[in-house]
Amino acid sequence: MGFLEPLQIFLMSIVGLIANPVNILILFGSVIMGIIFGATPGLTATLGVALLTTLTYGMDVSTAMVALMGIYVGGVYGGSYTAVLVNIPGTAASAATALDGYPLARKGQAGRALGLTTTASAIGTVIGMVFVVLLSPVISALALEFTSFEFFLLALFGIVISGTLTSQDLVYKGWIAGLIGLFLATIGRDSLQFFPRYTFGMSELEGGLDLVPVLIGAFGIPQIMQTIRDNFKISETSEFKKILPEWKTIGKNIPAILRSSLIGVGIGAVPGIGEDIAGWVSYGTAKKASKHPEEFGKGAVEAVISTETANNSCIGGAMIPLLNLGIPGSPPAAMLLGAFMLHGIQPGPMLNIDRPTFVLEITAILLLASIAMWVSGIFLSKQVVKVLKVPTSLFMPIISVLCIIGSYALGMRVFNLYLMLPIGIIAYFLTEMKYPIAPLIIGVILGDMADQNLRRALMVSQGSFMPVLQRPVSLVLVLVILILIAGQIPAFQKLQAGVKAGVLSLFKKKQGSADNA
Amino acid sequence: MKKLLTLVVCLAVMSGALFAEGQAEYPERDITNVLVWGAGGGTDTCNRVVMAEMAKELGVNINVVNKPGGVAGSVGMSDAFAKASDGYTICGLSESCVTSAVMGGFPERMNVWDFFIIGGSPDIVSVTPDAPFDTIKDLIEAAKANPGSIRAGAGGAGSIHHLNLLALQDGTGAKFNFIPYDGSAPSQNAAMTGEITVVVTSVAEQAQLIRGGKLKPLGVLVEDNFDLDGKAIPSALQAYTDLRNFLPISQAIGFAIKKDADEVIKSKLRNAFTVAMNSQAVLDFGKENFYILSGKYGEEAGKVFDSLESNFAWTLDALGAAKVSPASLGIPKM
Repeated sequence: MGFLEPLQIFLMSIVGLIANPVNILILFGSVIMGIIFGATPGLTATLGVALLTTLTYGMDVSTAMVALMGIYVGGVYGGSYTAVLVNIPGTAASAATALDGYPLARKGQAGRALGLTTTASAIGTVIGMVFVVLLSPVISALALEFTSFEFFLLALFGIVISGTLTSQDLVYKGWIAGLIGLFLATIGRDSLQFFPRYTFGMSELEGGLDLVPVLIGAFGIPQIMQTIRDNFKISETSEFKKILPEWKTIGKNIPAILRSSLIGVGIGAVPGIGEDIAGWVSYGTAKKASKHPEEFGKGAVEAVISTETANNSCIGGAMIPLLNLGIPGSPPAAMLLGAFMLHGIQPGPMLNIDRPTFVLEITAILLLASIAMWVSGIFLSKQVVKVLKVPTSLFMPIISVLCIIGSYALGMRVFNLYLMLPIGIIAYFLTEMKYPIAPLIIGVILGDMADQNLRRALMVSQGSFMPVLQRPVSLVLVLVILILIAGQIPAFQKLQAGVKAGVLSLFKKKQGSADNA
Repeated sequence: MKKLLTLVVCLAVMSGALFAEGQAEYPERDITNVLVWGAGGGTDTCNRVVMAEMAKELGVNINVVNKPGGVAGSVGMSDAFAKASDGYTICGLSESCVTSAVMGGFPERMNVWDFFIIGGSPDIVSVTPDAPFDTIKDLIEAAKANPGSIRAGAGGAGSIHHLNLLALQDGTGAKFNFIPYDGSAPSQNAAMTGEITVVVTSVAEQAQLIRGGKLKPLGVLVEDNFDLDGKAIPSALQAYTDLRNFLPISQAIGFAIKKDADEVIKSKLRNAFTVAMNSQAVLDFGKENFYILSGKYGEEAGKVFDSLESNFAWTLDALGAAKVSPASLGIPKM
């Protein structure tokens, strides 16, 4: 196939889709539903895709895909609303957005922040889409380098980097929070040998802790308690008329956008980790690359743009292994896999032969979904920002109710409510002691992956740790983790500074001699 | 306006009363299928296709409601079991639900249900394309020569694929290094990365990878050869006849109604089920998805589930994974 033919199919798919008004209606409907799901703490993009899957059963394939991709894109983006406005990430994907989005809102720039997240998300989705077409074969090949050792190291890396990046004062506190998360993840029967761990004979604990009530408890409850304690008005928003994004700001941040998209696509393509990690890693890299890293955490525009671009471009990334190998790259993509099967589509190496146009159709739908998301985002955020004018005494009880509903809704288990509250109270005291909460959550999310894969890897190697150093990808991961940890040791920091100075002086000398010549 | 509203309400109440009057024949209203697994999985897809055909026959809708969670589908099973035995609630389930009792999720043995088995995809032994084995004999002999040296994946510990792998070992005397994964897809993925050499999952799950040349099929674990795209995959049971003592252990996707339901209701469902199983839609579905269709119900289906229950329960007990001992539940060792 040449270049023109795919382009033609792509354009034909778009025309075919928008020619049917029902598709447009479903597209906007599902995107807006996604945004609401994403914005509501406890309702996630994953849950949205899962719930919608059953409703699409009677639809034809392309309409069903429009609905599902719409709610996925909307859901990942929608989390930024609550992250920016109330500092409770609506989904884990937007946890990193809250770090700088919320300070921006407190400065009275909520409209600006949301305008930027909307545009960044749309651009991220589109770039992700481009990569689905361009990099499908390449990234899938790289993803196959990941065996159990790499998955373990990747999970560990996720926890360490999130601990390093989110601590307010001491990095150790972030790591401690991460370890607490790891501990919480071990509760329940282990999935390799069914051994019950820390269940104390309670049957509710056998299946482990559900992520959603932990997430809501750890993020939601401390926020509610603090707000009520301080009798704090969430934000004084100055009147603003337009939420249209500042194209100038976007233009200035093009390097950040490109970098974040690449991170998002790459992380999306790695099975098992999704939008949340993409957001964190992108945040970290943006902070490292920034000329003003001290502004991060205090409302840096760059940070908000980076995280939102990354988590949305992650969608495209997650689609790459899903379409090419039938391996979902993120949790919502795992739900999509189920939906594909329901509609008789077998993703995998044969997809290109069974349905040669399917990948291009999906990319066309992704493009339409990002446009729909941008339009409804710009339109909806005007309404959503009004939330800030609701008095705390009214708003916080509503959030509390949403937290409770969110914890209960997923599994309809009352036990999850008993779980949410104590975790929330512990998280409140941790927050008071300036322990970051995000690594704790990352620990819970990735803990199972780390635990299972380490033990599985040792089963495969029959107890030897040597493969860690022999496999290229795992060696790189080990080095990165070691550097991250060593970076906190004073002696190493001095060494690092020394080396840097040495290299710089060498460089200057060379330059000097070049000038002389 | 108010008058109109009152009128509408009155009419609605009256018609409701009218319909409630007179013992109409089953089914007179929609049936709910409480499905114990999530939407989009094999059990879900199968049930939806068959329910659609049965609905045509019964003349009412059958709504499939997914209630996943608990251990081995215990949430959905308990939910369906708590409903009246009036035939308006059935329970969509699969073979792995039989472990629910020993895992402490469901207080009853499986014989409280009356089963309808749609079918399942047979298990298949495949290896990575670069592995030096071309037949099931090559593989088994190599595994016998160096016990525990060949890494094999087969879904999670205690899954149906794991039971098939254990049976393969027992019936041939070979010994593999079993690596457990979260499910079939992750273990197949591990074969792609080269972490494991042998993978035992169902034909339906492997079909794409076999067609794409990413897995080399060696043998199916059922009595007959299996036709995949016109190419026959030999039966391992024919190469190693001792395997017949342990196999086949087949997937059994289907649904169930409480055993104490009225015989009239059961026979209505059985008729509709038989018609559905012979419909073109279900036959096509089975062929496209590599299922061996069963269509068993009543006593015959009960026997299938009894043997599955015994096999699963005692295997889990041997693995140390059973929370409730199979003996205390009265599950015989078969």
